[in-house]
Amino acid sequence: MGSFAELTHFAERYLPYLAGGFAVTLAIAALSVPLALGWSLPILLCRLARRRWLAGAAAAYIEVMRNTPLLIQMYLIYFGLPLFHVFLSGFMCGVLAITLQHGAFLAEVLRAGVESVSARQWDAARAIGMRSRTAFRLVVLPQALVKMLPPLGNQLIVLVKDTSLVSAIGVMEVTLSGKMIIERTGGSYEVFVAVALFYLTMTTALGAGLRVAERRLAVRFG
Amino acid sequence: MFHVLIISLPYLLKGAAITVWLSLATISLGTLLGFALGTVGAVGPRPVRAAVAVYVFVLRGVPILVVMFLGYYVFPALGYKVDAYVAVGAAMVVYVGAFVSEIVRGAILAVPSSQIAAARSLGMRRWPMLREVVLPQAFRLATPPLLNTALTTVKQTSYVSVVGAWELSYAAREVVERTLAAFEIFLGVMVLYFIICYPLSLAARHLERRYAFAS
Amino acid sequence: MPSRADASGAGAMIAVSDLRKAFGPLTVLDGVSFAVAAGETVVVLGPSGSGKSTMLRCMNFLEPYDAGEIRIAGELVGYREDGDGRRVPRSEAEIARFRERVGMVFQSFNLFPHRSAVENVMMGPVHVRGIERKAARAIAETLLAKVGLAEKMAEYPARLSGGQQQRVAIARALAMEPKVMLFDEVTSALDPELVGEVLLVMRRLAQDGMTMIVVTHEIAFARDVADRIIFMDKGAIVEEGAPRELLLNPRAERLQAFLHRFSGGVAES
Repeated sequence: MGSFAELTHFAERYLPYLAGGFAVTLAIAALSVPLALGWSLPILLCRLARRRWLAGAAAAYIEVMRNTPLLIQMYLIYFGLPLFHVFLSGFMCGVLAITLQHGAFLAEVLRAGVESVSARQWDAARAIGMRSRTAFRLVVLPQALVKMLPPLGNQLIVLVKDTSLVSAIGVMEVTLSGKMIIERTGGSYEVFVAVALFYLTMTTALGAGLRVAERRLAVRFG
Repeated sequence: MFHVLIISLPYLLKGAAITVWLSLATISLGTLLGFALGTVGAVGPRPVRAAVAVYVFVLRGVPILVVMFLGYYVFPALGYKVDAYVAVGAAMVVYVGAFVSEIVRGAILAVPSSQIAAARSLGMRRWPMLREVVLPQAFRLATPPLLNTALTTVKQTSYVSVVGAWELSYAAREVVERTLAAFEIFLGVMVLYFIICYPLSLAARHLERRYAFAS
Repeated sequence: MPSRADASGAGAMIAVSDLRKAFGPLTVLDGVSFAVAAGETVVVLGPSGSGKSTMLRCMNFLEPYDAGEIRIAGELVGYREDGDGRRVPRSEAEIARFRERVGMVFQSFNLFPHRSAVENVMMGPVHVRGIERKAARAIAETLLAKVGLAEKMAEYPARLSGGQQQRVAIARALAMEPKVMLFDEVTSALDPELVGEVLLVMRRLAQDGMTMIVVTHEIAFARDVADRIIFMDKGAIVEEGAPRELLLNPRAERLQAFLHRFSGGVAES
């Protein structure tokens, strides 16, 4: 590796680039998480709809997302949209692709949650005159979210890791920054150790936050 | 309308073949590694279990793309000149191994302790008990999540194209950059991946349902 | 003392006539007919599988029924009569609005775990009746005080005992100002020491003039609080009458056998 002086010199020159990359990764994650969660709700509602064609369409969408790589979906959006005269930045294409795919996965996790809420909760809600829509919004969905917090959280951690893929469409997030540094300096794998540590910190922090949230909810709801 | 796709199909199918081959290699090696690590991670001596736990923790916290890049650059740094496929393949095996190890470890620990008590009371020793009682049941519990991991791995082979190894996604991008027929090519490639992945997906869900009733 | 509803059910708050329901090949309700006058408390006794819970669930249309009629305050439950034949199911909106006037309390309490006690009681007023939050809170607090749980208002169901949860459930049902209250074995899931507090609330409700149908195993409660007892078995009414007569001189053999099993409760106090 070299002396300590080399290491600090290296850090001085390239930390700014990595730091810029960190910021972009955080931005993509911060934007994609709420968007994916938001997008999962209409998918969930369609998937649970009584009308067969709606439920079938949602199921087909989820199946396509489940069986094709995020990379190809990203390429499709990035290279395909300009053909329709829609010009989005690489950043937005990445966010869009991640939202579309993870929205499907989150919807499936929530569906398992909704189906696990006891029928008795539906009974109680309807017994006081609530319509299905209100009962779902106020009674069933909140309980599904709480029940599914662990798998939801894990899925979100996978989402954060998937942000690395936007490097394939030229977005200068942390993974691509690392690659660029190596190419510029003729350097070696150590840069990616730093990149790995960055992701490890993010996922560990998210995991810890998840467990705190789980514990707080367990205290309240038993 | 789709004639660019049709003309490029032979080229893309060659890429698909590499994808399938790469998937099979990494899944089988990764599963073997994962079984070994998962077993010692569940029943081995303390320091070994701790080491496996650290390994799993680190690999699950990092994107596979980063692990692939690490693999790509680490070999030359250590003085070995290797094929791009070997480099990324090794990285994938290590990554898949971590996930499989966690599934196997969980499955072994999920075998009801009443089973172990019964085996012990028959006078079984550790290794035969493991082999005859615990592992078969653990294997049954582990199969659905293992199939899901295999499914994910097939999709992740597409990422080697980002690092520079040639397979279906790399081929697709080449064709698009040459012909600009982004829509039809990438849609066609999505269909190809779907054909490869869907059987795995179905198998995983079918087994999930079957075991849900059995247990 | 409420006036008796006559056999035809005219003027009754609740009128059930020839109610039938089957789950596939299994007949659950086999022609049940009875009436309940306004302010009456009717207790329904019977072995498990006799169809009592199903009948109750048909009354607020949590279950549809195959034949016969249920009328509450004169309105046909769950269906509307069209020009010629009958049986056009009502819309979800109509059924929901109808359920506002029929309160139900369940064996497993079914409180909403993600809301505190007072918020549980407020759910109906705020989200169904459209009452403004402050006013709804006042209603909820009054009701919780009425069932003896003023100090437990802000607690979540997980922190409440079974008896307390059931009392919150009663308050939640009362918050809708129902005309009729249905109780489905509400003490069967409770530890014995907690049963009394719930029965006390129900007794007071009956004394205040609420029209109630109570499915229960609590014979003492039936004897002391019911205006009328109905004994059901295998989906039909076997015997019906005033508590004293029915409990002390049961005519049907099945009723005698049933009371024998629960005889401990009757002889005391």
